[in-house]
Amino acid sequence: MNPTVVSIIIATALIGGALLLTTRSPEVASVDNVSVENGKQIIEITAKGRYAPILTSAKAHMPTTLRIETNGTFDCTSILRVPSIGYQKNLPPTGTTDIELPPQKSGAVVQGLCAMGMYNFTVRFK
Amino acid sequence: MHCAACPVLIKSELEDMPEVSSAKPSLKHHTVEVSGDFGDKTQEHIARDLTEVVKTHGYSVSVEKHRHGVRWSEFSLAVPIALAFIALFIILQKLGIVNLVTTANVTYGTAFVIGLIASVSTCMAVVGGLVLSMSANFAKEGDKIRPQVLFHIGRLVSFFLLGGVIGLLGSTFVLGATGTFILSFTVALILLVLGINLLDIFPWMKRWQPTLPSFISRHIHGLKEVNHSLTPVLVGVATFFLPCGFTQSMQIYTLTTGSFWTGAFTMSAFALGTLPVLALLSFSSLAIRKKAQSGVFFKTAGLVVIFFGLFNLINSLVAVGLIPPVFSF
Repeated sequence: MNPTVVSIIIATALIGGALLLTTRSPEVASVDNVSVENGKQIIEITAKGRYAPILTSAKAHMPTTLRIETNGTFDCTSILRVPSIGYQKNLPPTGTTDIELPPQKSGAVVQGLCAMGMYNFTVRFK
Repeated sequence: MHCAACPVLIKSELEDMPEVSSAKPSLKHHTVEVSGDFGDKTQEHIARDLTEVVKTHGYSVSVEKHRHGVRWSEFSLAVPIALAFIALFIILQKLGIVNLVTTANVTYGTAFVIGLIASVSTCMAVVGGLVLSMSANFAKEGDKIRPQVLFHIGRLVSFFLLGGVIGLLGSTFVLGATGTFILSFTVALILLVLGINLLDIFPWMKRWQPTLPSFISRHIHGLKEVNHSLTPVLVGVATFFLPCGFTQSMQIYTLTTGSFWTGAFTMSAFALGTLPVLALLSFSSLAIRKKAQSGVFFKTAGLVVIFFGLFNLINSLVAVGLIPPVFSF
């Protein structure tokens, strides 16, 4: 086999693999990361290499806390930005950081991004 | 001719010849207009004589303008290789390599490991893209090992010194949202230009290549030298400030140390961790530039650099909220 054919086969395999891995649509969190304490809604999100879960459903019209957990996090996810409330902070490498959100309207979407833009998470309020 | 300083150099070299009364090089047209008394030599003979003088600087003079031919056939190999590299990059991100860091205490060893990981992470799209495009462009122009080594020295020294400074001051150069955006956007544009340049299909793009402005280079002697040694050092120093999550979080850790030496050694350990992959990127262009496959290599590098440029461009627009997220790792 000539090198062109070999490289095309390898390329196809790799691209196929990459597509398989990337095109999984973000499902709503299978783990329950939303809890209510003293009339306050708490959404837990872990930050390391990615934000997990990537999509969260939460209740609208309720004071809400975003609780971001870091554990040996040194990548971009530790520099968090929540544009809708003008928030940007460098999270500690290990620890939890609480971000207060005002009650959101039904249908509102709050998005968190890392400072360079390649990682993100979404919270939908219903 | 590729830099604002070249015409000045060529002019001064040619006018030093006794036969030449004036030489007018043009960067725009890649030509030089020479007048003088050459006796009854043929045009070809004169061109050979002129070449002798400027040869040491890597130029040659010919009567006819070099025709620019695009070797499209090289793309048939370059495209699949570039796509394979990009796919590998995406798979690496999906594998969750950052999870290899399990400790919360930063020792010099951890900093080194974080550097190793950073060099194959999304940071590669920024720093790696820049290293690849710069070294490939230099190699294409026939430069030897020096610019590459100077880049790495510039990077290591700046990480040592600036790491020490932020350790000592306890404050950092972390940019705000606007600063990060401007920087990422600029880097993305530079990568796109350098990448397209490497493809070697639009010769007129060369004019956009970022170099020292001519009003500076005109006043410095050893003109080509300066451009090819100062530029890599400065780019190396600048990588300290480039938007990369790992670099930034290491800097944030460093500022908590409150000591010049701890800061300097932590940032140096991190920079050393990134060295193997970056060195591989910069010296592979050197190794291959004389080989028959060099055309394929430069085109592959160009495609990869263009991908990194687009990746940064999209991410920078996402980060300021102008467009919804495209990549989600």
